[in-house]
Amino acid sequence: MSGDITHRAAQWIAGGATLVAGSVLSDSAIEHYRGSFANKAMFLPLGASALSIVHDGNLAARGARTGAVGSWTSGTHAASVGVGAAGLGFHVYNIAKQPGGFSLGNFFYQAPIGAPAALVFAGALGAAAHALSSGASALGPVPLQSGRALAGFTALGLAGTAGEAALLHFRGAYHNPAMWLPVTIPPMAALALARTALTGRVHWVTTASLAATAALGLLGTAFHAYGVSRNMGGWKNWRQNLLAGPPVAAPPAFAGVAIAGLGALLLIRRFSRG
Amino acid sequence: MFTHDGWVPMRDYGEDAVDFVIVGTGAGGGTLACKLAEAGFSVIAMDAGAYWRPLEDFASDEQEQTKLYWTDDRIVDGDDPIHLGANNSGKAVGGSTVHYMMVSLRFRPEWFNSRTKLGYGADWPLEWREMWRYYREAEEALCISGPVRYPWGPQRPRYPYRAHPLNAPARYLARGAEKLGIAWSETPIATLSAPRGKAHPCVYRGFCASGCTTNAKQSVLNTWLPRALAAGAEIRDLAMAGRVETKNGRATGVHYFRNGQWRFQCARNVVVAGYAIETPRLLLNSSSSEFPDGLANSSGMVGKNLMVHLNQSVFGYSGDEIRSYKAPPSLALTEHWNYEDRGKDYHGGWCYMAPGPLPADWARTVSAKGKWGAGLLEEMSRYNHAVGLKMVGEVLPYERNRVSLSEQTDRYGLPIARVTFGFGDNERAMRTHALDFMDRALDAVGVTERWRNEEETAHLMGTARMGEDPATSVVNADCRSWDIPNLWVCDGSVFPTSGGVNPSLTIQALACRTGDRIAELAARGEL
Repeated sequence: MSGDITHRAAQWIAGGATLVAGSVLSDSAIEHYRGSFANKAMFLPLGASALSIVHDGNLAARGARTGAVGSWTSGTHAASVGVGAAGLGFHVYNIAKQPGGFSLGNFFYQAPIGAPAALVFAGALGAAAHALSSGASALGPVPLQSGRALAGFTALGLAGTAGEAALLHFRGAYHNPAMWLPVTIPPMAALALARTALTGRVHWVTTASLAATAALGLLGTAFHAYGVSRNMGGWKNWRQNLLAGPPVAAPPAFAGVAIAGLGALLLIRRFSRG
Repeated sequence: MFTHDGWVPMRDYGEDAVDFVIVGTGAGGGTLACKLAEAGFSVIAMDAGAYWRPLEDFASDEQEQTKLYWTDDRIVDGDDPIHLGANNSGKAVGGSTVHYMMVSLRFRPEWFNSRTKLGYGADWPLEWREMWRYYREAEEALCISGPVRYPWGPQRPRYPYRAHPLNAPARYLARGAEKLGIAWSETPIATLSAPRGKAHPCVYRGFCASGCTTNAKQSVLNTWLPRALAAGAEIRDLAMAGRVETKNGRATGVHYFRNGQWRFQCARNVVVAGYAIETPRLLLNSSSSEFPDGLANSSGMVGKNLMVHLNQSVFGYSGDEIRSYKAPPSLALTEHWNYEDRGKDYHGGWCYMAPGPLPADWARTVSAKGKWGAGLLEEMSRYNHAVGLKMVGEVLPYERNRVSLSEQTDRYGLPIARVTFGFGDNERAMRTHALDFMDRALDAVGVTERWRNEEETAHLMGTARMGEDPATSVVNADCRSWDIPNLWVCDGSVFPTSGGVNPSLTIQALACRTGDRIAELAARGEL
């Protein structure tokens, strides 16, 4: 019974990791294409996130139990974490060398500082999901079975993603009231989830706000598609406006993190019942 | 305006008396038309130009878009005759804001008292704090995209929209300023960085100076005038005003030429908003036995104190590709020398921005260096690598710089304006300092083969100055003429001094204030 729950949690978390990796793949493909792949390293997140999708998507979809985590799988997740971390460094360097340095203008328009962190996140979630599914009690030094460390980690991820939405929606001057949604609901979910991680008790608010965040992530894609249509030429001019408009592929990252958070809740509930 | 083949209803007042007839629909007249209509007055605003619809009527073609300039005959003379046309006129509904560079800067507060506080020019009859409020109103109406923190002057509220990303010339300006140790900033600019209503955000096409085809540019044409129409104003285009009629010391209406004939529009108030050449021309041409020297001219100041801005530049070439024509020009600026008076041997301030000349404009600029034929071709092939800095510098008011009427007449039979202009020593000293400084700023970022374009000027101001004293000014702080209580002037001609920034935002702020004041005066029965 408890093994089933662990496996179900692993599936949820792997599903979340897949969504986040999918968001990274499509978003970095579009944005790095926009940057003409000026640096060959700009291909790396595409490869890493694609591998993550294959491995984590497989786990999320598969009902059966797996054995020990294969070295390919571990390598894939390590690659995602590594490429994401290197990307963070590149993006920070890119901002630092601009005129004005760490100014708001550069945070708005230069390499997005938070985006590579999503790949780190996808890799770590994927690794945790596979470890859980293989029956391991910990991933390195991090205990997994209680779900609390995972809840804390996803709370952090939600807060970071909301932070990036806050920055970029501020850039858009919150011209549409809907732009306030991702800076209100996900932070609430992050707070509730962090509280759950600390107390080990699941409140219905946590579950509800995570579910709302997941729904919002998918809705966000629709809103961003509408945002693309608000540019000159609308969707008829998609080749330009996909690049100029709001990133259509970004909002599902919210859904991915929230789904992983729901997976962590499964573990916490199980644990608190003993 | 915002859709292809779209139409909006407009009121038609006919020629019965309305509360206000406004001559000119630019930054002054168009803004005031909106304010007055929204205050409940019946308003007709006339313009000699056409009511264009940017989505359909504008082409990405510099030559075609000269249709937006006022290119009627004028006589220019003086020691430094002004080149009139592109960057100091407009002949379209919306005025020159239809093709302006959108740079929307506030005056330095001290400039409103430059005589008392800084020792030159003339004081404005206005207090800067009050103007600060009206600047805000104009910035909100235009949805200005600007920096979150502005490095100069008293704190100002956040701009409605965020600043645009810097294009290459703006980045060169920023790096140069950093090398020389002065502050720089993204320029507050009237083009959208996010959608607004039916208007799309800027696509960084770079044809701003030829009129924006996408409506991202926030001009009088697509901000104040749609509001004015909604509030019941009539915009009468292709109507050339020739004469303001007066009787018993009051204005009674405007004679104007439209559809091949002279017509007369009755009005209880007349606002002249034709900018610094056409405004004095109309006032002077409206002379009568009652007002033999022209209307509102008991001080003799109508037409005098014409000012321009110094608009000289330094250009050179970079090893990198710049493509300065991409994105709106002037995306970065420094107002350092507007706010720093130490180290100057002249009065007044100046700022500089990163220009983005379009190809034909650029060809004219380099041919002025004596390039022609193969030499010009070779120079044009390096267009993508050209980068420069361009100043907007304050010019002092001199009574000898003036607009007067010549003996010659134009196709309407109206006397052609004679525009007499010459710089003083102050302008020459400022120009030397500015060009030297901009040259250093380009040198510091590795721009080579630099040269100075010392010819250009921009904008027009003065010729119907406002003031506290009827003996030395044409209008009071409310832009109301001292001599004729129902005659008003609302455009750049009321500026007593020119300041070191582009004037459009100040003109709109003044128009907002004038609109509010007229409503107050009307409520008190003092119109």
